[in-house]
Amino acid sequence: MKAPSLVLVALTTAASVSAQDTSRVAEAQSVLAPLIESYGVSGMETPVRATVQKLLPAWAKTETDTAGNLWVRVGQGDPVIVFVAHLDEIGYRVDSILDDGSLRLLNQGGFFQSLFEAEPALVHTPKGDVPAVFLPRDTGTTRHNPPPVRASVGTTSRQGTLALGVTVGSTLTMPKQFTRLAGTRATGRAMDDRVGDAAQILALRHLDRGKLKHQVIFLFSTREEIGLDGARAAANALGTTPRRVHAIDTFVSADSPLELQTFATAKLGDGPVARSLDNSSVTPAAYVDSLVQVARARGVPLQVGTTNGGNDGSTFTPFGVVDVAMGWPLRYSHSPAEVVDLRDVAALADLVQAIAEIW
Amino acid sequence: MRRSETKAVGRTGGRALGALVLVLVTAGPADRLSAQDVSSLTERLSALTAVTGSERALTDSLLAWLPGSARDRFGNVTLALGKGEPKRLASCAVDEVGYIVGNITDDGYVRLRRVPGVLPQPLFDQQMLEGQRVTVMGDAGPVPGVVAVRSTHLTRFRGAATAAEPPFSVDDAWLDVGATSRADVARLGIHVLSPVARLKRPLRYGDGLLAAPFAGSRASCAALLAAALGQPSPHGTVVVAFTIQGSYAQTGLKAVRALQGPFAEELAPNVPSQFRFTPVETVSLAAADSVRKAIVRWIGGR
Repeated sequence: MKAPSLVLVALTTAASVSAQDTSRVAEAQSVLAPLIESYGVSGMETPVRATVQKLLPAWAKTETDTAGNLWVRVGQGDPVIVFVAHLDEIGYRVDSILDDGSLRLLNQGGFFQSLFEAEPALVHTPKGDVPAVFLPRDTGTTRHNPPPVRASVGTTSRQGTLALGVTVGSTLTMPKQFTRLAGTRATGRAMDDRVGDAAQILALRHLDRGKLKHQVIFLFSTREEIGLDGARAAANALGTTPRRVHAIDTFVSADSPLELQTFATAKLGDGPVARSLDNSSVTPAAYVDSLVQVARARGVPLQVGTTNGGNDGSTFTPFGVVDVAMGWPLRYSHSPAEVVDLRDVAALADLVQAIAEIW
Repeated sequence: MRRSETKAVGRTGGRALGALVLVLVTAGPADRLSAQDVSSLTERLSALTAVTGSERALTDSLLAWLPGSARDRFGNVTLALGKGEPKRLASCAVDEVGYIVGNITDDGYVRLRRVPGVLPQPLFDQQMLEGQRVTVMGDAGPVPGVVAVRSTHLTRFRGAATAAEPPFSVDDAWLDVGATSRADVARLGIHVLSPVARLKRPLRYGDGLLAAPFAGSRASCAALLAAALGQPSPHGTVVVAFTIQGSYAQTGLKAVRALQGPFAEELAPNVPSQFRFTPVETVSLAAADSVRKAIVRWIGGR
C-alpha cells in the first residue's frame, strides 16, 4: 500500500469500541499508571525495570543483560522477531556539587529545560529520594532555553548536600503522577516510552503462546534518550539473526493547536500509528502494507504516518533487520504534561499481540 | 526582644493609622500551639487555591478551622478576640494571582485570562502554566488539566529557538482537559469565569523548608491562624481578619476597616520567602513560627 502522510486504514465501529472500552481502558490504566509513577532517568532504569518485572505474567522468564536491558523470550524457531520499548526517561544528572550546596546539572535527553526550572525536584540516591527544587533563573526571560538549570536540596554547603547521600552522578527528575483527564485521556510525565512498555506487557499477558510459529523477543531497553545505547547493545548481540524489529515508541503527534499541520497529524483516540518514517529509520512500503493487513485482520484501528525523532529499532537495521516501528499518538512530548488516549494504548497492545501471533 | 518593623500607612474613616508590617522576630514567650501546628497549617493552606475573586473554598476551610469566626458580607473571614479599647486589627490576604476561564473553543480547549491583570514577575505565566498540570475549579469539583506546549521533537530541524523569543504569556495558553468539544467541557462543569490554578503540591525539603506557590503569603496566614487558634489573651479588642481580593488594591481589607473599624493599630504579618511568585516559592517553617509568636505577643499588647 502506498502510504500517504496519514491514512486511517481500519476502524472498528463506534459501538464495538465502546462496548469494550471499560475493561480494556481499565486494564491499560492498571499497567500504565505504576510505570508512569516509577522513576528512571537514562542509565538509572532499575526502578522501572523492577516495575516491569512485577507487571509481567507469572510465566514470563526474564533476563537482564550487561547493558541493563530486560529480555523476555517466547516461542521457538526462526524467523526471530524483536519488539523493543525503552525503560528510560528524560531528566538530569548531577554534574557537580557547588560550595553553597547547590547542584549543577547535565540534562539527559532533549527537552525544553524551561519546563523544569522553578519546579519541585527529586534527587534519586541509593538511600532514597531526596526532595529538592530546580532553582529559578537569576536573570533573563528567554522562553525555552534558560541559563543552565541548577537545583537545591535546601542545604548551604557541599558537605551538607553530601550528607544527604547526593553525589555527582545522582539523577534528578520532577515528581510525577498518572492522572485521568476527561473521557479516555490521561496525562503524566514519561508516557514516552512507558506506554510502549505497557503495550508490550499487555500483549504478553494476552498472548496465545500456542499460536507462535517462531521466537519472539520482547526487549525493554535502556538509555534510549541519550543515544539508543541499550538497544544498540542488544542489536550487536543478536546480529543478523532477527528478521524484523518493531520499535514500540511514541508517535509524536501534531494533534495540538500549537503545532504545524504539515505532518505527524495522527489524532489521539484514532488508534496506534505505523511510524513509517522518522529521523532514524524508514520502513519499506511492503512492510507497512503487511502491518496494515495484520491490523485489519484483528480489527485494530491503525493510522499510518511520519513524525520526528529516532527509535531503538534503527540500531538493528545495519544488520539487515527491517525496522517496522509503531507507536501511539502523543501530545506535548518530553514535557511534564504529556497526554495520551488510553484506547490507543489498548489498541497498540492488541496490535503487538497480533503481530506476534500471525505475522 | 528584637523586632524589625516597617511602618506603612493605612486609613480608616479618613483617619490615618500606622499599619505595622512585621518582618521578622525572635522567639518569644511560650503559648498553646507548637511549631508543628504552624508547619502543618502552612502546608495545608499552601495546598489550597484562592484565585482573587474566587476565594470561597479557602475561606470555607478557615471558617471550619477557626471556631467563632464568621464571613462578613464582602466575603472576608473575621473573628473578634477580647473586648473594649483599644480596637486593633491583625489581617492577612488569602488570595493569589491566578487565572479564570475566558473562553472555550469548539474543539474543547479552554483559554484563560490572568487575575489580576498585572504580571507579578516576567516569567510568572511561563513557570506556572506552560507544559504544566493545572486544576480547574468546576461546578462539580476540581477538574485536572494540562497547558499545551509544543512537542520538543516537532521543533527539530525547523529553526532553533532564539534568545529573542518572548516569554510564554497567558494568551499563549491552551488548556487541555481531555475534552474534544465545547459540550464536553460544559459537562465537566467548566464555564467562563471558572477559576484555574497551578496544581498545588507543597514540598518540604532541606532543614524545615517548604516550597509551594505563594508559600510566603500562605505561611503568613498560617501564622495568624495559629496565633488565633492559640486563644491568646488580647489587650482590648483584636479583630483577626482573613481578607479577600488583596490583589485588587486590598479591597477586602478596606471592607473590614469600613465594616468593623476604626482600628487604633494594624498588623500585617509577613513571613519572608525566597523565589517569590514562582512554583517553588520557599519559606522557612521556623520563621513562620517566629512570626506566630510575635503575633501572639502583639495581640497581648506586648
